[in-house]
Amino acid sequence: MKVIKQFEYKPADVVGGYTDRILRVDMGTREIKIQQLPADFKTKYTGGRGYAIKLIWDETRAETRYDSPENILIMANGPLGNEPGFPGTGKFIAGTISPLTDTFIDSNVGGHFGPLLKLAGFDALAISGKSDEDLILIIDADAGSVSLTAVDKDSQPDEGALSFGEKLLKEAGKGIFSDNLAAVVAGEGAVNARFGILNSLYYDRRRNRIRSKQAGRGGTGTVMRAKGLSGVVVKSSRPKANGNNAIDKNLVREAGTKLKDTINKYDPVQLNLEAWGTTGLSEYMNKFHILPINNYQYGQSPAAPGIFAGVFLDKYFSKKMPDGCYYGCNLACAKGVENFVLQGGPRAGKTVSVDGPEYETVGAVTNMGIFDPQFVLEYNWYCDEYSLDTISTGVVIGFFMECFERGYLSTEDTGYELRFGNIESVEKILREIVHGRGFGKIAGQGIARGKKWVAQKYAARTGVSEESVLLEINKFAMEAKGLEFSMYVTKESLAQQGGYGFSLKGPQHDEAWLIFIDQVHKELPTFELKASALKWFPLIRTWFNATGLCKLPWIDVRNPEAAKTSEPAKNIPSLAYYVDYLNGTTGSKKTLQDVLDDSERLQLLQKLINLRQGKGTRSSDQIPWRAVGPVYMNEYHARTEYYEEWLKQNLKGAALPPTDEERHKLLMKKRLEAFSELCDHVYARKGYNSEAVPRRETVKKFDLLDEQADRLLSRFGE
Amino acid sequence: MDVFIELFGLPKEIIKSERISLPLTGGMVVRDAFSYLKNRYPAVPLEQAPFLVTVNSEIASMDSLLKAGDTVCFLPHIGGG
Repeated sequence: MKVIKQFEYKPADVVGGYTDRILRVDMGTREIKIQQLPADFKTKYTGGRGYAIKLIWDETRAETRYDSPENILIMANGPLGNEPGFPGTGKFIAGTISPLTDTFIDSNVGGHFGPLLKLAGFDALAISGKSDEDLILIIDADAGSVSLTAVDKDSQPDEGALSFGEKLLKEAGKGIFSDNLAAVVAGEGAVNARFGILNSLYYDRRRNRIRSKQAGRGGTGTVMRAKGLSGVVVKSSRPKANGNNAIDKNLVREAGTKLKDTINKYDPVQLNLEAWGTTGLSEYMNKFHILPINNYQYGQSPAAPGIFAGVFLDKYFSKKMPDGCYYGCNLACAKGVENFVLQGGPRAGKTVSVDGPEYETVGAVTNMGIFDPQFVLEYNWYCDEYSLDTISTGVVIGFFMECFERGYLSTEDTGYELRFGNIESVEKILREIVHGRGFGKIAGQGIARGKKWVAQKYAARTGVSEESVLLEINKFAMEAKGLEFSMYVTKESLAQQGGYGFSLKGPQHDEAWLIFIDQVHKELPTFELKASALKWFPLIRTWFNATGLCKLPWIDVRNPEAAKTSEPAKNIPSLAYYVDYLNGTTGSKKTLQDVLDDSERLQLLQKLINLRQGKGTRSSDQIPWRAVGPVYMNEYHARTEYYEEWLKQNLKGAALPPTDEERHKLLMKKRLEAFSELCDHVYARKGYNSEAVPRRETVKKFDLLDEQADRLLSRFGE
Repeated sequence: MDVFIELFGLPKEIIKSERISLPLTGGMVVRDAFSYLKNRYPAVPLEQAPFLVTVNSEIASMDSLLKAGDTVCFLPHIGGG
């Protein structure tokens, strides 16, 4: 590979989980340098998502868009990443200004890249600038060099990200795959769509192949390719055991043993993620009307058993294979399929390995009205290879399918019939999105932009005003803040409506997943309890993203001791292991409340970024009608009994209106009022004013009132 | 006159069925259905971890009274990804 620029360095040691260094690369000027962080930086911003938020706050502006040279793509692990003695420590986050939302997005991903980046001497990698030719960044701690190289003509990312990444890793290993190497790559879909992903590639010794995990949400891959960066390779041969150089190794070991024991004992008799991965969730979601079907119109289908976990386990998954995406994770939920023969698409007949599917990918496929497990795996593989987010892709296509079926789109617009359940048309639009051709060029812009195009076309065809069309299709356009919803139907859970609406990055469940404790457990019956959960859960979940940890060992393996606590859903006994792990690693003496306070600072700073980028006020937290209740009568009639019961309870004894149409109208009125009331409760609890602007004293309390924050708050009347 | 136990996850895999029925007896509560399941299918690891009880998809307790046609579920806690 032709070296364009090389920088030599001595890798810093990791002490207490940190190196206190960020690797800065400017793709435009080709400048490579090391930013030494001040001592209080980690104290205030923790790591991972916190570091990314701080860099974006300081170095971008309201006018910055995803493809602006000053936009920064940050990849950061966190102080607790990289410890084989503790489960789930292979995560890193990709943070940047999103092509979909125009504000900060972070997406977390597993694999070996985050840990190896730290072992190479960096807490984070920050890429700015734009190159006019595609380059590869190689961080080789063993050689003590960081290089920008040209992309070989015979190995192009647009031919397929997974094969491209494999070649990079093989070349970096001089023909041999090694777990001292990892890569991040993005393919052609990330060039032409706003929801391009980053593939995180690593070598799995047991399967003896390269595997991939994805930073899926918000278009982080699109940003990488916009910068002219096709791939990043990191190499370090430093020992992984005690790679964090923990201050109190015994405390780390004890905490890790306790969590591993909990997982060993209780995962097999609970969700059994070790065997089924997250596909195990599908049947529970279907049972409770939460699995999205036909653009979230329904939450349950008689065809759904065709894509339940048992099908994947029996027919596809490689069994009895330890599947942790990083060493030491005995939850091991990263399922995979080997020797899978593609039956459709441009690579039909090719034998591939598929990493997945996750529940979210299954849900994306049912959202398009498809219940074929073979297609789930094909969709999974093609999206990874092309580098598209399986979630956004499925939600975007589902939306346009509904536009087509309701007459807002015609074959003149799309070039073909785009109907629910039609695999052939999904394969077609997928290819068009990837290549930026035909109707796929519109679809690749995401729902927030695509719905305006639909409104224009329909208005021109019918003479109806564009505004009125938009008003109608907005009701089932499943996006908020510009991001497509993840795969949970929220019509029957007000708390989860808030979980999506208030999520700072847009409707992704990793900030607040409250749907089960609200809808099924009925643990949040009041506005106060919902608001309390909508503050607490995003705080602790943000902390996981700031420290380099996976949440599943905490949240999806219920510790029996939790039953003895006042709020079992928080699983506090397992969280106590995490706090010990933090203190053992960094030498701190923090309590769980300290952890939550650290996280609140990060949430607030992200909120300020949203405010600056035009996505921070009450209007940005509003969600489409379909997230609140049934938009059309077909949805209402699918759950008449439930909706009538809800209405009766909310009318407090008053008679129901006589017709279904009137009941539906009243139901939606009441539900929208309930969401509005929830907004008031949540904002008050978070220290915001009624327009969702953080109060000055709240910002001051967390020591975030710098000059920029001061000006911003003044502009918003605070 | 029967009540039903709907099965998910591991119990479904072990029993190889999505639903089993049992005859309703006077004053039958969820705990009785649970004992029936445990005695008939001892390999099902229901007692080894915390679980959630629903009757007809609504949260219930082990003491909830059952009536003909009711569907009982014993579910794991799910915290989300």
